Amino acid sequence: MPAVIRWIRSDLRARWAQCTATAAVVAGVVTALLLSATLLASATNPWPGLFAQTRGAQIWLRLAAGTSVAGLRSRVDGVMAVAGPYRVAPATMVLAGVKAPVQVRAMPLAQPQVGRVLMEQGRWLDRPAPDGVVLEASLAQAVHAAPGSRLVLEGLDGSEVPARVIGVAATSDQGYYPDVQPGLMWVQRALLRRVEPVAGHTEEMLGLRLASSAQTGFVVQQVVTQLGSRAVLSVSTWQDVQRSMARQYPLLGLLLAVFGLVALGAAVLAIATAVGGRVLAQLQDLAMLKTLGFTPAQVTGMLVVEHAALALAGIGVGIGAARLLTMPLLHGLPGLPAAVTPLPAGWAGAIAGGTLLGVAAAAALPSWRAGRVRPVAVVRYAPPRGRLSWLARAAMAARLPAPIVLGAHAAFLRRMPALLTVAALAVPMIMMTVGLGFWSTLDDVQNHPADIGLAASVTVSPGAASPQQARRLIAADPQVARAYPGVRATALVPGETSTITTLGMGTSARPYPFHVVAGRLYRAPGEAVASQGLLDALHVQVGEFVRMAVGGVPVIFHIVGRIIEPEYGGQVLAYGMDTLSEAGAAAPPVFYSLVLRPGVTPEAARARLLRASGGRLDVETVANPADQLGVVRLMMAGLLVVLAMTGLTCVFTASLVGARDQARDVRVLRAMGLTPAQVRACLVTRTGLLALVAVGIGAAAGLAVSSRLINLGAQAYGIGAGIGRPPSAAALATAVILAVALAGLVALVPSPQAASSALTADPALA
Amino acid sequence: MTSAGLAPGDGVLLRAAGLTKTFRGDGVPVPAVRGVDLSLRHGEFAAVTGPSGAGKSTLLHLLGGLERPTGGQIWLGGRRVDGLSEARWAATRRRHIGFVFQFFNLVSNMTVADNIELPALMSGMTRREAARRREELLGRLGLSGKAGLPPARLSGGEQQRVALARALAHRPSLLLADEPTGSLDSAAAASVLGLLRDAHADGQAILLVTHDARVASLAERVISMFDGMIADDAILPAMLEQAHALPSVLKLKG
Repeated sequence: MPAVIRWIRSDLRARWAQCTATAAVVAGVVTALLLSATLLASATNPWPGLFAQTRGAQIWLRLAAGTSVAGLRSRVDGVMAVAGPYRVAPATMVLAGVKAPVQVRAMPLAQPQVGRVLMEQGRWLDRPAPDGVVLEASLAQAVHAAPGSRLVLEGLDGSEVPARVIGVAATSDQGYYPDVQPGLMWVQRALLRRVEPVAGHTEEMLGLRLASSAQTGFVVQQVVTQLGSRAVLSVSTWQDVQRSMARQYPLLGLLLAVFGLVALGAAVLAIATAVGGRVLAQLQDLAMLKTLGFTPAQVTGMLVVEHAALALAGIGVGIGAARLLTMPLLHGLPGLPAAVTPLPAGWAGAIAGGTLLGVAAAAALPSWRAGRVRPVAVVRYAPPRGRLSWLARAAMAARLPAPIVLGAHAAFLRRMPALLTVAALAVPMIMMTVGLGFWSTLDDVQNHPADIGLAASVTVSPGAASPQQARRLIAADPQVARAYPGVRATALVPGETSTITTLGMGTSARPYPFHVVAGRLYRAPGEAVASQGLLDALHVQVGEFVRMAVGGVPVIFHIVGRIIEPEYGGQVLAYGMDTLSEAGAAAPPVFYSLVLRPGVTPEAARARLLRASGGRLDVETVANPADQLGVVRLMMAGLLVVLAMTGLTCVFTASLVGARDQARDVRVLRAMGLTPAQVRACLVTRTGLLALVAVGIGAAAGLAVSSRLINLGAQAYGIGAGIGRPPSAAALATAVILAVALAGLVALVPSPQAASSALTADPALA
Repeated sequence: MTSAGLAPGDGVLLRAAGLTKTFRGDGVPVPAVRGVDLSLRHGEFAAVTGPSGAGKSTLLHLLGGLERPTGGQIWLGGRRVDGLSEARWAATRRRHIGFVFQFFNLVSNMTVADNIELPALMSGMTRREAARRREELLGRLGLSGKAGLPPARLSGGEQQRVALARALAHRPSLLLADEPTGSLDSAAAASVLGLLRDAHADGQAILLVTHDARVASLAERVISMFDGMIADDAILPAMLEQAHALPSVLKLKG
């Protein structure tokens, strides 16, 4: 054992550059995998992150008004702290014509120690804004509210209290609206008293923070016994909240997971070729070790252990890097919950273990072959020789210079390693091409939002102005090319429990310019277009009829086309507003979608409209989903770097093996009169050719699958197929040229040494 | 130097009987060693000579377990070893056999010190013992200042001296040397041969393969091989004189 350790230490010292590269590749892959997994975990299961950041309570009790909870903490085992009790009242919130049931919760101006909220936008309740309310984030999203939105609270007695949104916050108290109703709204005590003046009509909420989440059931029983079952109106536990918050977030997670796993596969291939290459290069030393008394098992084990140790180092660095990068990269990422969910230990363990296993498996086969090296002092490792390869013959027929002919011949002399090298290089190239395709798709979405149905870049709702004034102001604005009146209505599909969003956009005569990828746009009342997500959810296809209740009125829609829809989780149905009036559910437009004249920025148009209306209009710029994916671009760039590193590791190994293989030939070549530069050219041609073939195959295969993969992802997400774009020719050409040039450069590293050292006395080759 | 581990018994350290080795090149059997019988006593210094292709190196590889014999038997210290598995042979070499080759074959990624300590560590010495042994050997070979260097920074003669130190580091019963001066100039060769002689004087059993008659003349016994067979096995007169001078005189008198 001490001898094995001694050899591993010496080897790590002697080949530190290669070893560092191996560890760096592993570290990069682990970082990428951990970040993607964290992103996925935060998106799919945001509760743990929110719970940790808000010092949440595991149990929330809805109590009858006036229930005495004094001393509950000391009376019930396992309760560490309590939040509240907070006075609450039920109410209906009306915002821009949309009604939503809410629980109005009176909170102190200072955030409590337990069951805090995590501000996402705006600010917490404060004295200067007595009518200010803070909305729970999913409620705010569902009703399209943001700080500044004005709303009316209708109490049970029909009283109307105007209020103003001053903040949007996330909480671990309750699940997402509209799955969990009513929505949650925090207000000051005085406002609550105005909404529900009768104290007897209010209730109280009490949060319990436990020493251990596992005690939840037991504590609930005890508390109900202590307070009496009459006092406890309802109980919600952290399990309920977690379940309700769980979301499918397929596109982002899937994309990153696929990329991460392929990067791991590429790294494993790269490490397999690297270990194979070093075994070939070190045959002499390995044979000597066996002469000295190393058993085959010891040699194999030693190499596996060495690479596993490198992998462990890489995994350690990767975990550290992921920890450092998680907060700056993922925190506050648009489209994700406010809190980053720490990665469950199981996931991190699986990633670390999987990586370690992958590397060990990659190292196992070449190491086993190393163990079978014969312990004879002089190992002559001659590659199989034979007739000139067809490639070399073709090069010769084309009268190419001798070094190129010889390099072409040498490239595929060892068939298996050559194939492995090509495969190990082609895989990262495929993923790079897909990555570039994703990039150009994002560019396309960003530069041509109309292609994903975002023709309008500004939405205006009348706000404090009257609908007529709003229409007049919009018509008078020279920056507006076209304006489409719109109405948003939720609809209930018979047999389905959830509601869907429907949009009346424009009229059948003048429909909003959705991006239709199948069928056509609505042209007559009763016709509608739907997004992929809705078609999937309703199990219908373009051409079929669906019946649903829009605003309580039954309407039959003929779905005539499929549109690309990046919002509403990809579930939306759109039709002309005249469809509603024909069905007897006529509604005035609640917003106008404005298509601007070319060259006008949404911000400029918004500012002008606000100025013209004296701030009475509510003007919002339409968020482009691609803007939110900036961080994904960053992660993709990181992954591309990891992939490039694995590719270059392969090239380096290939050229190292090539230099060893050809060392003997080099003498002959020099003797034949080739200059050192020509010898070098021969060695570089050999590796460069392998790289060229691999890059070519990788780019072609990547091109073939890129759009399809992206469309598949978009389809799964509900946006619908049709957004995938192939990588831009310029980007792909740059990538190919860069890859081949870098490969050539890396191939150059060992060759000058080989070209000269092979001529100095290398006795093994004498 | 005393041989560790192997009991002297009848004084025979190594014995081979009817040893054969046939290589198969392109389906044609090529006999390299054909029925060699040989024995070597503890502390004996024998040279195997013969022309190129006589089977000298193959014989040495067979005796050290680097090649597997086609037929015949080998005993090392009274123990039959020809049928050992590769791992058992490795363990045997670790304890009892040291190898020196023509091309030094130092492990290129290890320093001089590590190259020498490696076999010592493998034989079961502690790190401290191995380091002490390495210091002792390097001191004797005049290479104390080179312990931290990689082998590539040494001259051929120095590399071979390090290789010799490595072969002796674990105090083997038997030193097998395959053309140890074959790629050295005469000064370096003389220095290496001097060291071999010193080792023998300390009681080290040595089997040396060489095609150089002058090198062979260093040994007390010269075995000549030709076409894979032993053609002659003679104890050198000079050595005879030293070793048996007195008994011969007594015999004459008698």
